[in-house]
Amino acid sequence: MKFHGVKIEDREWIGGYTLIRYRWDGAIEPGQFAMARVAGYPVTFDPFLARPFSFYDHDGETASLLFEVRGRGTALLDDAPDRIEVSSPLGRGFRINGANGPVALLGGGIGVAPLKVLSRRLDALSVPHDVFLGFADARYAAVAGEFPGAKVATVDGSAGVQGTVLDAAPDLTRYTAVYACGPNPMLAAVKRAAGEDAFCQLSVEERMGCGNGSCNGCVVPVRDGGYVRSCIEGPVFDAEALAW
Amino acid sequence: MVVRERLAGEKLAVELCGIALETPLIPASGTLSKEALGEVGSVYGAILPKTTTPRARAGNPPPRIAETPAGMVNSIGLQNPGVEKFLEGLDAFDLGVPIFVSVAGDTVDEFVALCGRLAGDPRIAAVELNLSCPNVEHGGLTFCAGPASAREVIEACRDALSSKPLFAKLTNEGVVANAIAAEEAGADALTVINTIPALTIDASAQTILVRGGLSGPAIKPVALRAVYDVSRAVNIPVIASGGVSTGTDVAEFMLAGATAVQVGTASFVREPEEILSEFSEYLDRMGTTASELTGAL
Repeated sequence: MKFHGVKIEDREWIGGYTLIRYRWDGAIEPGQFAMARVAGYPVTFDPFLARPFSFYDHDGETASLLFEVRGRGTALLDDAPDRIEVSSPLGRGFRINGANGPVALLGGGIGVAPLKVLSRRLDALSVPHDVFLGFADARYAAVAGEFPGAKVATVDGSAGVQGTVLDAAPDLTRYTAVYACGPNPMLAAVKRAAGEDAFCQLSVEERMGCGNGSCNGCVVPVRDGGYVRSCIEGPVFDAEALAW
Repeated sequence: MVVRERLAGEKLAVELCGIALETPLIPASGTLSKEALGEVGSVYGAILPKTTTPRARAGNPPPRIAETPAGMVNSIGLQNPGVEKFLEGLDAFDLGVPIFVSVAGDTVDEFVALCGRLAGDPRIAAVELNLSCPNVEHGGLTFCAGPASAREVIEACRDALSSKPLFAKLTNEGVVANAIAAEEAGADALTVINTIPALTIDASAQTILVRGGLSGPAIKPVALRAVYDVSRAVNIPVIASGGVSTGTDVAEFMLAGATAVQVGTASFVREPEEILSEFSEYLDRMGTTASELTGAL
Protein backbone atom coordinates (compact mmCIF):
# COMPACT_ATOMS: atom_id res chain seq x y z
CA MET A 1 0.00 0.00 0.00
CA LYS A 2 1.30 3.40 -0.98
CA PHE A 3 1.09 6.18 1.61
CA HIS A 4 1.52 9.89 1.00
CA GLY A 5 2.96 12.21 3.60
CA VAL A 6 0.63 15.18 4.04
CA LYS A 7 0.72 18.25 6.21
CA ILE A 8 -2.19 18.75 8.57
CA GLU A 9 -3.49 22.20 7.69
CA ASP A 10 -5.97 22.41 10.48
CA ARG A 11 -7.21 20.37 13.41
CA GLU A 12 -10.47 20.91 15.19
CA TRP A 13 -12.26 19.15 18.02
CA ILE A 14 -16.00 19.06 17.57
CA GLY A 15 -17.75 17.51 20.52
CA GLY A 16 -16.37 13.99 20.84
CA TYR A 17 -14.76 13.95 17.40
CA THR A 18 -11.52 15.10 15.85
CA LEU A 19 -11.43 16.78 12.44
CA ILE A 20 -8.18 17.03 10.50
CA ARG A 21 -7.72 18.75 7.17
CA TYR A 22 -4.97 18.27 4.60
CA ARG A 23 -4.42 19.33 1.05
CA TRP A 24 -5.66 16.81 -1.51
CA ASP A 25 -6.46 17.98 -5.03
CA GLY A 26 -7.19 14.55 -6.49
CA ALA A 27 -10.74 13.34 -6.99
CA ILE A 28 -12.67 11.98 -4.00
CA GLU A 29 -16.08 10.36 -4.32
CA PRO A 30 -18.48 10.79 -1.39
CA GLY A 31 -18.31 7.58 0.65
CA GLN A 32 -14.72 6.77 -0.24
CA PHE A 33 -12.17 6.39 2.54
CA ALA A 34 -8.46 6.74 3.22
CA MET A 35 -6.11 4.67 5.33
CA ALA A 36 -4.27 7.01 7.72
CA ARG A 37 -1.51 6.72 10.31
CA VAL A 38 0.90 8.92 12.17
CA ALA A 39 4.32 8.12 10.83
CA GLY A 40 6.19 6.27 8.16
CA TYR A 41 6.67 2.58 8.51
CA PRO A 42 8.89 0.95 9.77
CA VAL A 43 9.14 3.65 12.39
CA THR A 44 6.04 2.51 14.25
CA PHE A 45 5.42 -1.14 15.03
CA ASP A 46 2.62 -0.36 17.48
CA PRO A 47 0.17 0.44 16.15
CA PHE A 48 1.21 -1.56 13.13
CA LEU A 49 -1.67 -1.00 10.75
CA ALA A 50 -3.13 2.19 9.37
CA ARG A 51 -6.76 3.05 10.14
CA PRO A 52 -9.59 3.52 7.63
CA PHE A 53 -11.57 6.77 7.73
CA SER A 54 -14.36 7.94 5.45
CA PHE A 55 -13.71 11.32 3.94
CA TYR A 56 -15.70 13.94 5.83
CA ASP A 57 -15.36 16.69 3.29
CA HIS A 58 -13.47 17.70 0.17
CA ASP A 59 -13.71 21.01 -1.63
CA GLY A 60 -11.40 20.03 -4.46
CA GLU A 61 -8.29 21.29 -2.68
CA THR A 62 -8.62 20.31 0.97
CA ALA A 63 -9.78 16.95 2.26
CA SER A 64 -10.85 16.26 5.81
CA LEU A 65 -11.25 13.22 8.01
CA LEU A 66 -13.49 13.07 11.05
CA PHE A 67 -12.84 10.40 13.64
CA GLU A 68 -13.46 9.34 17.19
CA VAL A 69 -10.56 8.33 19.41
CA ARG A 70 -11.18 4.66 20.12
CA GLY A 71 -7.72 3.16 20.53
CA ARG A 72 -4.02 3.74 20.09
CA GLY A 73 -4.15 4.37 16.35
CA THR A 74 -6.75 7.10 16.61
CA ALA A 75 -5.25 8.53 19.80
CA LEU A 76 -1.93 9.03 18.03
CA LEU A 77 -3.64 10.68 15.07
CA ASP A 78 -5.53 12.90 17.48
CA ASP A 79 -2.34 14.47 18.82
CA ALA A 80 -0.12 13.74 15.85
CA PRO A 81 2.60 16.11 14.78
CA ASP A 82 1.77 18.27 11.78
CA ARG A 83 2.38 15.51 9.27
CA ILE A 84 0.52 12.24 8.83
CA GLU A 85 0.48 9.60 6.13
CA VAL A 86 -2.59 8.81 4.07
CA SER A 87 -3.46 6.51 1.23
CA SER A 88 -5.16 7.69 -1.92
CA PRO A 89 -8.98 7.60 -1.83
CA LEU A 90 -10.14 3.98 -1.70
CA GLY A 91 -13.29 1.95 -2.17
CA ARG A 92 -16.66 2.49 -3.77
CA GLY A 93 -18.59 5.51 -2.66
CA PHE A 94 -22.27 6.44 -2.73
CA ARG A 95 -24.09 6.15 -6.04
CA ILE A 96 -26.36 9.05 -6.74
CA ASN A 97 -29.45 7.83 -8.55
CA GLY A 98 -31.24 9.87 -11.17
CA ALA A 99 -34.15 10.89 -8.98
CA ASN A 100 -34.67 14.50 -7.98
CA GLY A 101 -35.25 13.80 -4.34
CA PRO A 102 -35.91 14.46 -1.68
CA VAL A 103 -33.37 11.99 -0.32
CA ALA A 104 -32.56 11.07 3.27
CA LEU A 105 -29.11 10.94 4.86
CA LEU A 106 -28.78 9.09 8.15
CA GLY A 107 -25.73 8.89 10.37
CA GLY A 108 -25.13 7.03 13.60
CA GLY A 109 -22.28 8.24 15.79
CA ILE A 110 -19.07 8.60 13.81
CA GLY A 111 -21.14 7.33 10.86
CA VAL A 112 -21.89 11.01 10.38
CA ALA A 113 -18.50 11.31 8.67
CA PRO A 114 -19.27 10.61 4.99
CA LEU A 115 -22.56 12.54 5.05
CA LYS A 116 -20.92 15.97 4.87
CA VAL A 117 -19.21 15.36 1.54
CA LEU A 118 -22.29 13.51 0.28
CA SER A 119 -24.44 16.49 1.24
CA ARG A 120 -22.02 18.76 -0.63
CA ARG A 121 -22.37 16.59 -3.73
CA LEU A 122 -26.16 16.54 -3.49
CA ASP A 123 -26.16 20.33 -3.16
CA ALA A 124 -24.05 20.59 -6.31
CA LEU A 125 -26.60 18.41 -8.10
CA SER A 126 -29.50 20.45 -6.63
CA VAL A 127 -30.94 17.34 -4.99
CA PRO A 128 -32.93 18.32 -1.88
CA HIS A 129 -32.02 16.19 1.12
CA ASP A 130 -32.79 15.83 4.81
CA VAL A 131 -30.15 14.84 7.34
CA PHE A 132 -30.87 12.73 10.44
CA LEU A 133 -28.18 12.07 13.01
CA GLY A 134 -28.11 9.86 16.06
CA PHE A 135 -25.56 9.98 18.88
CA ALA A 136 -24.95 8.59 22.33
CA ASP A 137 -25.21 11.99 23.99
CA ALA A 138 -25.06 15.76 23.53
CA ARG A 139 -21.26 15.84 23.55
CA TYR A 140 -21.08 13.80 20.35
CA ALA A 141 -24.18 15.47 18.96
CA ALA A 142 -22.28 18.77 18.83
CA VAL A 143 -21.08 17.79 15.35
CA ALA A 144 -24.68 18.13 14.15
CA GLY A 145 -23.99 21.87 14.13
CA GLU A 146 -22.00 21.24 10.95
CA PHE A 147 -25.22 20.06 9.27
CA PRO A 148 -27.69 22.97 9.21
CA GLY A 149 -31.26 21.74 9.58
CA ALA A 150 -30.27 18.22 10.66
CA LYS A 151 -32.69 16.40 12.97
CA VAL A 152 -30.91 14.89 15.97
CA ALA A 153 -31.57 12.04 18.36
CA THR A 154 -29.50 11.00 21.37
CA VAL A 155 -29.74 7.76 23.27
CA ASP A 156 -29.77 9.58 26.61
CA GLY A 157 -32.02 12.37 25.40
CA SER A 158 -29.46 15.08 26.22
CA ALA A 159 -29.85 16.60 22.74
CA GLY A 160 -32.65 16.37 20.20
CA VAL A 161 -35.23 13.65 20.61
CA GLN A 162 -34.52 10.72 22.87
CA GLY A 163 -33.80 7.51 20.98
CA THR A 164 -31.96 6.36 17.88
CA VAL A 165 -31.52 8.11 14.56
CA LEU A 166 -34.69 6.45 13.30
CA ASP A 167 -36.61 8.16 16.09
CA ALA A 168 -35.50 11.48 14.61
CA ALA A 169 -36.49 10.49 11.08
CA PRO A 170 -39.98 10.45 9.58
CA ASP A 171 -41.27 7.66 7.33
CA LEU A 172 -38.26 6.84 5.15
CA THR A 173 -40.42 5.40 2.38
CA ARG A 174 -41.29 8.92 1.30
CA TYR A 175 -37.73 9.50 0.05
CA THR A 176 -36.48 8.64 -3.43
CA ALA A 177 -33.15 7.51 -1.98
CA VAL A 178 -31.80 6.69 1.47
CA TYR A 179 -28.11 6.89 2.39
CA ALA A 180 -26.79 5.79 5.75
CA CYS A 181 -23.57 5.18 7.64
CA GLY A 182 -23.16 3.83 11.15
CA PRO A 183 -22.88 0.65 13.18
CA ASN A 184 -24.23 -2.50 11.50
CA PRO A 185 -27.36 -2.82 13.72
CA MET A 186 -28.32 0.75 12.83
CA LEU A 187 -27.78 0.08 9.13
CA ALA A 188 -29.92 -3.04 9.33
CA ALA A 189 -32.68 -0.97 10.98
CA VAL A 190 -32.41 1.72 8.30
CA LYS A 191 -32.65 -0.95 5.61
CA ARG A 192 -35.88 -2.26 7.16
CA ALA A 193 -37.30 1.22 7.59
CA ALA A 194 -36.52 2.22 4.01
CA GLY A 195 -38.55 -0.70 2.69
CA GLU A 196 -37.76 -3.42 0.21
CA ASP A 197 -38.18 -1.35 -2.92
CA ALA A 198 -36.08 1.56 -1.73
CA PHE A 199 -32.94 2.87 -3.36
CA CYS A 200 -30.94 2.48 -0.18
CA GLN A 201 -27.15 2.63 0.14
CA LEU A 202 -25.29 1.77 3.31
CA SER A 203 -21.68 2.58 4.23
CA VAL A 204 -20.38 -0.10 6.60
CA GLU A 205 -17.81 0.30 9.37
CA GLU A 206 -15.31 -2.56 9.51
CA ARG A 207 -11.83 -3.08 10.85
CA MET A 208 -9.39 -3.19 7.95
CA GLY A 209 -5.92 -4.58 7.51
CA CYS A 210 -4.73 -3.36 4.14
CA GLY A 211 -7.42 -1.28 2.43
CA ASN A 212 -6.55 -2.63 -1.02
CA GLY A 213 -8.38 -5.93 -1.08
CA SER A 214 -5.41 -8.09 -0.24
CA CYS A 215 -5.99 -9.30 3.31
CA ASN A 216 -9.70 -10.25 3.11
CA GLY A 217 -10.08 -9.06 6.68
CA CYS A 218 -12.88 -6.49 6.34
CA VAL A 219 -15.61 -8.66 4.91
CA VAL A 220 -19.37 -8.36 5.25
CA PRO A 221 -21.90 -11.14 4.55
CA VAL A 222 -23.88 -10.77 1.32
CA ARG A 223 -27.32 -12.03 0.39
CA ASP A 224 -26.01 -14.24 -2.39
CA GLY A 225 -23.90 -16.15 0.12
CA GLY A 226 -20.37 -15.73 1.33
CA TYR A 227 -18.55 -12.52 2.08
CA VAL A 228 -17.25 -9.54 0.17
CA ARG A 229 -14.58 -7.03 1.12
CA SER A 230 -15.75 -3.66 2.38
CA CYS A 231 -12.55 -2.00 1.12
CA ILE A 232 -13.05 -3.00 -2.54
CA GLU A 233 -16.68 -3.98 -3.09
CA GLY A 234 -17.67 -1.35 -0.46
CA PRO A 235 -17.57 0.41 1.90
CA VAL A 236 -20.88 1.57 0.38
CA PHE A 237 -23.24 -1.25 -0.55
CA ASP A 238 -26.73 -1.45 -1.96
CA ALA A 239 -28.77 -2.39 1.11
CA GLU A 240 -30.40 -5.26 -0.75
CA ALA A 241 -27.00 -6.88 -1.37
CA LEU A 242 -26.21 -7.27 2.33
CA ALA A 243 -27.24 -10.35 4.28
CA TRP A 244 -28.41 -8.39 7.31
CA MET B 1 8.14 -0.76 -16.36
CA VAL B 2 10.32 2.13 -15.25
CA VAL B 3 11.00 0.38 -11.98
CA ARG B 4 12.25 -2.72 -13.67
CA GLU B 5 14.65 -0.78 -15.89
CA ARG B 6 15.96 1.07 -12.90
CA LEU B 7 16.33 -1.87 -10.57
CA ALA B 8 16.89 -4.78 -12.90
CA GLY B 9 20.14 -6.41 -13.69
CA GLU B 10 22.43 -9.12 -12.51
CA LYS B 11 22.55 -7.64 -9.07
CA LEU B 12 18.99 -8.56 -8.09
CA ALA B 13 18.46 -11.67 -10.20
CA VAL B 14 18.25 -15.09 -8.61
CA GLU B 15 17.47 -18.56 -9.87
CA LEU B 16 14.93 -20.73 -8.10
CA CYS B 17 14.54 -24.34 -9.22
CA GLY B 18 15.67 -23.41 -12.70
CA ILE B 19 13.28 -20.45 -12.85
CA ALA B 20 14.95 -17.11 -13.47
CA LEU B 21 13.63 -14.39 -11.15
CA GLU B 22 14.49 -10.77 -11.86
CA THR B 23 14.31 -10.05 -8.14
CA PRO B 24 14.26 -12.39 -5.14
CA LEU B 25 10.96 -10.97 -3.85
CA ILE B 26 7.71 -12.91 -4.12
CA PRO B 27 4.36 -11.96 -2.58
CA ALA B 28 3.38 -14.34 0.22
CA SER B 29 0.18 -16.21 -0.55
CA GLY B 30 -2.97 -14.41 0.46
CA THR B 31 -1.44 -10.96 0.71
CA LEU B 32 -1.72 -9.60 -2.84
CA SER B 33 -5.13 -9.08 -4.41
CA LYS B 34 -5.84 -8.66 -8.08
CA GLU B 35 -6.88 -5.10 -7.28
CA ALA B 36 -3.50 -4.32 -5.72
CA LEU B 37 -1.44 -5.65 -8.62
CA GLY B 38 -1.20 -2.18 -10.11
CA GLU B 39 0.71 -1.01 -7.06
CA VAL B 40 3.49 -3.57 -7.23
CA GLY B 41 4.88 -2.68 -10.64
CA SER B 42 7.65 -5.12 -11.35
CA VAL B 43 9.05 -5.36 -7.87
CA TYR B 44 8.38 -9.06 -7.61
CA GLY B 45 10.43 -11.76 -9.32
CA ALA B 46 7.33 -13.94 -9.42
CA ILE B 47 3.66 -13.52 -8.57
CA LEU B 48 1.89 -15.80 -6.11
CA PRO B 49 -1.89 -15.30 -5.79
CA LYS B 50 -4.01 -16.33 -2.84
CA THR B 51 -4.34 -20.06 -2.13
CA THR B 52 -6.83 -21.87 -4.32
CA THR B 53 -8.90 -24.90 -3.26
CA PRO B 54 -10.93 -27.47 -5.24
CA ARG B 55 -14.24 -25.72 -4.55
CA ALA B 56 -15.19 -22.19 -3.59
CA ARG B 57 -14.78 -21.35 0.10
CA ALA B 58 -16.77 -18.59 1.77
CA GLY B 59 -14.13 -18.18 4.44
CA ASN B 60 -14.64 -17.52 8.14
CA PRO B 61 -17.20 -15.12 9.60
CA PRO B 62 -15.77 -11.80 10.83
CA PRO B 63 -13.92 -10.68 12.84
CA ARG B 64 -11.07 -12.09 10.81
CA ILE B 65 -8.18 -9.86 11.75
CA ALA B 66 -6.82 -8.30 14.91
CA GLU B 67 -3.85 -5.99 15.14
CA THR B 68 -1.04 -6.87 17.53
CA PRO B 69 2.25 -5.10 18.28
CA ALA B 70 4.33 -5.32 15.08
CA GLY B 71 1.87 -7.62 13.41
CA MET B 72 -1.62 -8.98 13.07
CA VAL B 73 -3.51 -12.18 13.72
CA ASN B 74 -5.70 -13.40 10.89
CA SER B 75 -8.24 -16.14 10.43
CA ILE B 76 -9.53 -15.72 6.90
CA GLY B 77 -10.41 -19.34 6.23
CA LEU B 78 -8.99 -19.58 2.71
CA GLN B 79 -11.81 -17.56 1.14
CA ASN B 80 -11.47 -18.16 -2.59
CA PRO B 81 -13.65 -18.86 -5.63
CA GLY B 82 -12.35 -22.39 -6.24
CA VAL B 83 -9.75 -23.60 -8.72
CA GLU B 84 -11.84 -23.37 -11.90
CA LYS B 85 -12.81 -19.74 -11.39
CA PHE B 86 -9.26 -19.08 -10.21
CA LEU B 87 -7.85 -20.39 -13.48
CA GLU B 88 -10.39 -18.35 -15.48
CA GLY B 89 -9.06 -15.23 -13.80
CA LEU B 90 -5.38 -16.15 -13.72
CA ASP B 91 -4.42 -14.02 -16.72
CA ALA B 92 -5.01 -10.92 -14.59
CA PHE B 93 -1.95 -11.94 -12.59
CA ASP B 94 0.29 -11.98 -15.66
CA LEU B 95 2.77 -9.17 -15.02
CA GLY B 96 5.35 -10.68 -17.32
CA VAL B 97 7.01 -12.64 -14.52
CA PRO B 98 6.56 -16.31 -13.51
CA ILE B 99 3.33 -17.19 -11.71
CA PHE B 100 3.46 -19.57 -8.73
CA VAL B 101 0.16 -21.01 -7.54
CA SER B 102 -0.61 -21.86 -3.91
CA VAL B 103 -2.99 -24.79 -3.38
CA ALA B 104 -4.72 -26.35 -0.39
CA GLY B 105 -7.08 -29.27 0.07
CA ASP B 106 -8.90 -31.05 2.87
CA THR B 107 -7.43 -34.44 1.91
CA VAL B 108 -4.39 -35.81 0.11
CA ASP B 109 -6.68 -36.68 -2.81
CA GLU B 110 -7.80 -33.07 -3.06
CA PHE B 111 -4.19 -31.88 -3.15
CA VAL B 112 -3.45 -34.43 -5.84
CA ALA B 113 -6.48 -33.43 -7.90
CA LEU B 114 -5.46 -29.78 -7.71
CA CYS B 115 -1.90 -30.54 -8.76
CA GLY B 116 -3.18 -32.66 -11.62
CA ARG B 117 -5.40 -29.78 -12.73
CA LEU B 118 -2.49 -27.32 -12.69
CA ALA B 119 0.26 -29.61 -14.02
CA GLY B 120 -0.46 -28.98 -17.68
CA ASP B 121 -1.18 -25.24 -17.47
CA PRO B 122 1.73 -23.47 -19.17
CA ARG B 123 0.95 -20.19 -17.36
CA ILE B 124 1.97 -21.71 -14.04
CA ALA B 125 5.71 -21.94 -13.34
CA ALA B 126 5.49 -23.74 -9.99
CA VAL B 127 3.01 -24.88 -7.35
CA GLU B 128 3.28 -24.14 -3.63
CA LEU B 129 1.51 -26.60 -1.32
CA ASN B 130 -0.11 -24.80 1.61
CA LEU B 131 0.38 -27.57 4.15
CA SER B 132 -0.89 -25.58 7.14
CA CYS B 133 -4.52 -26.45 6.52
CA PRO B 134 -6.24 -29.26 8.44
CA ASN B 135 -6.23 -32.78 7.02
CA VAL B 136 -9.81 -33.93 7.63
CA GLU B 137 -8.72 -37.57 7.34
CA HIS B 138 -6.21 -37.13 10.15
CA GLY B 139 -8.43 -35.62 12.79
CA GLY B 140 -7.81 -32.08 11.63
CA LEU B 141 -4.06 -32.10 12.18
CA THR B 142 -2.31 -30.07 9.52
CA PHE B 143 -0.59 -31.69 6.56
CA CYS B 144 2.73 -30.62 8.04
CA ALA B 145 1.94 -31.78 11.58
CA GLY B 146 4.73 -34.30 11.23
CA PRO B 147 7.21 -35.79 8.76
CA ALA B 148 5.01 -38.76 7.83
CA SER B 149 2.06 -36.56 7.05
CA ALA B 150 4.15 -34.11 5.02
CA ARG B 151 5.86 -36.94 3.14
CA GLU B 152 2.56 -38.56 2.14
CA VAL B 153 1.01 -35.49 0.56
CA ILE B 154 4.22 -34.26 -1.07
CA GLU B 155 5.01 -37.63 -2.67
CA ALA B 156 1.51 -37.83 -4.09
CA CYS B 157 1.61 -34.26 -5.40
CA ARG B 158 5.10 -34.70 -6.80
CA ASP B 159 3.76 -37.40 -9.13
CA ALA B 160 0.66 -35.39 -10.03
CA LEU B 161 2.63 -32.29 -10.95
CA SER B 162 4.79 -34.08 -13.51
CA SER B 163 7.83 -31.89 -14.13
CA LYS B 164 6.46 -28.68 -12.62
CA PRO B 165 8.45 -27.51 -9.58
CA LEU B 166 6.79 -28.20 -6.22
CA PHE B 167 7.27 -25.89 -3.24
CA ALA B 168 6.17 -27.12 0.20
CA LYS B 169 5.15 -24.35 2.60
CA LEU B 170 5.91 -25.39 6.17
CA THR B 171 4.91 -24.03 9.55
CA ASN B 172 7.47 -23.28 12.20
CA GLU B 173 6.62 -26.15 14.51
CA GLY B 174 8.83 -29.14 13.75
CA VAL B 175 10.11 -27.37 10.68
CA VAL B 176 13.49 -29.09 10.36
CA ALA B 177 12.16 -32.64 10.55
CA ASN B 178 9.35 -31.74 8.15
CA ALA B 179 11.81 -30.08 5.79
CA ILE B 180 13.97 -33.19 5.62
CA ALA B 181 10.89 -35.33 4.95
CA ALA B 182 9.70 -32.89 2.30
CA GLU B 183 13.02 -33.01 0.50
CA GLU B 184 13.03 -36.80 0.58
CA ALA B 185 9.45 -36.80 -0.75
CA GLY B 186 10.49 -34.82 -3.79
CA ALA B 187 9.84 -31.17 -2.95
CA ASP B 188 11.88 -28.87 -5.17
CA ALA B 189 11.91 -25.99 -2.67
CA LEU B 190 10.58 -25.18 0.79
CA THR B 191 8.72 -22.07 1.85
CA VAL B 192 9.56 -21.36 5.50
CA ILE B 193 7.45 -20.38 7.49
CA ASN B 194 3.67 -19.82 7.58
CA THR B 195 1.89 -17.70 10.20
CA ILE B 196 2.34 -18.77 13.82
CA PRO B 197 -0.72 -19.97 15.79
CA ALA B 198 -1.94 -17.07 17.91
CA LEU B 199 -4.91 -15.74 19.82
CA THR B 200 -6.26 -12.29 20.59
CA ILE B 201 -8.78 -11.59 23.34
CA ASP B 202 -10.90 -8.52 23.96
CA ALA B 203 -10.68 -8.24 27.75
CA SER B 204 -13.37 -5.59 28.08
CA ALA B 205 -15.88 -7.63 26.12
CA GLN B 206 -14.49 -10.89 27.57
CA THR B 207 -14.57 -12.50 24.14
CA ILE B 208 -12.09 -14.05 21.78
CA LEU B 209 -11.30 -11.62 19.00
CA VAL B 210 -9.38 -13.77 16.54
CA ARG B 211 -7.92 -17.25 16.87
CA GLY B 212 -5.64 -17.62 13.89
CA GLY B 213 -2.13 -17.00 12.67
CA LEU B 214 0.30 -14.25 13.62
CA SER B 215 2.19 -12.48 10.84
CA GLY B 216 4.23 -9.33 10.50
CA PRO B 217 7.58 -8.09 11.84
CA ALA B 218 6.82 -9.72 15.21
CA ILE B 219 7.58 -13.17 13.79
CA LYS B 220 10.71 -12.27 11.85
CA PRO B 221 13.30 -13.61 14.32
CA VAL B 222 11.38 -16.89 14.53
CA ALA B 223 11.26 -17.19 10.75
CA LEU B 224 14.93 -16.27 10.45
CA ARG B 225 15.89 -19.08 12.83
CA ALA B 226 13.73 -21.54 10.89
CA VAL B 227 15.21 -20.51 7.54
CA TYR B 228 18.73 -20.76 8.94
CA ASP B 229 18.18 -24.20 10.48
CA VAL B 230 16.31 -25.62 7.48
CA SER B 231 18.92 -24.34 5.03
CA ARG B 232 21.53 -26.34 6.86
CA ALA B 233 19.42 -29.47 6.94
CA VAL B 234 18.42 -29.74 3.28
CA ASN B 235 19.99 -29.32 -0.15
CA ILE B 236 16.99 -27.78 -1.91
CA PRO B 237 16.31 -24.02 -2.07
CA VAL B 238 14.53 -22.29 0.78
CA ILE B 239 12.03 -19.47 0.18
CA ALA B 240 11.83 -17.30 3.28
CA SER B 241 8.51 -16.03 4.59
CA GLY B 242 7.72 -14.40 7.90
CA GLY B 243 7.83 -10.75 8.90
CA VAL B 244 9.94 -9.46 6.03
CA SER B 245 9.42 -5.73 5.99
CA THR B 246 12.67 -3.98 5.07
CA GLY B 247 15.48 -4.41 2.59
CA THR B 248 17.73 -5.37 5.46
CA ASP B 249 15.28 -8.14 6.38
CA VAL B 250 15.60 -9.49 2.84
CA ALA B 251 19.38 -9.49 3.19
CA GLU B 252 19.22 -11.23 6.56
CA PHE B 253 17.00 -14.00 5.23
CA MET B 254 19.25 -14.55 2.23
CA LEU B 255 22.33 -14.61 4.43
CA ALA B 256 20.54 -17.20 6.54
CA GLY B 257 20.15 -19.36 3.47
CA ALA B 258 17.08 -18.22 1.51
CA THR B 259 17.17 -18.16 -2.27
CA ALA B 260 14.05 -16.01 -2.53
CA VAL B 261 12.06 -14.02 0.01
CA GLN B 262 8.32 -13.57 0.35
CA VAL B 263 6.78 -10.28 1.40
CA GLY B 264 3.35 -10.49 2.98
CA THR B 265 1.88 -8.45 5.78
CA ALA B 266 4.41 -5.65 5.32
CA SER B 267 2.87 -4.91 1.93
CA PHE B 268 -0.25 -3.74 3.80
CA VAL B 269 1.66 -0.91 5.41
CA ARG B 270 4.30 0.05 2.87
CA GLU B 271 5.14 -0.31 -0.78
CA PRO B 272 7.05 -3.45 -1.70
CA GLU B 273 9.05 -1.25 -4.06
CA GLU B 274 10.58 0.48 -1.04
CA ILE B 275 11.72 -2.89 0.32
CA LEU B 276 13.33 -3.78 -2.98
CA SER B 277 15.00 -0.36 -3.21
CA GLU B 278 16.43 -0.77 0.27
CA PHE B 279 17.69 -4.22 -0.61
CA SER B 280 19.24 -2.90 -3.81
CA GLU B 281 20.99 -0.16 -1.84
CA TYR B 282 22.24 -2.75 0.62
CA LEU B 283 23.76 -4.76 -2.23
CA ASP B 284 25.46 -1.64 -3.59
CA ARG B 285 26.75 -0.72 -0.18
CA MET B 286 28.14 -4.20 0.38
CA GLY B 287 29.40 -4.59 -3.18
CA THR B 288 27.63 -7.88 -3.66
CA THR B 289 24.69 -9.45 -5.50
CA ALA B 290 21.52 -11.16 -4.37
CA SER B 291 22.60 -14.61 -5.48
CA GLU B 292 25.96 -14.27 -3.72
CA LEU B 293 24.18 -13.58 -0.45
CA THR B 294 22.34 -16.90 -0.26
CA GLY B 295 23.81 -18.94 2.54
CA ALA B 296 26.85 -16.66 2.86
CA LEU B 297 26.75 -17.09 6.61
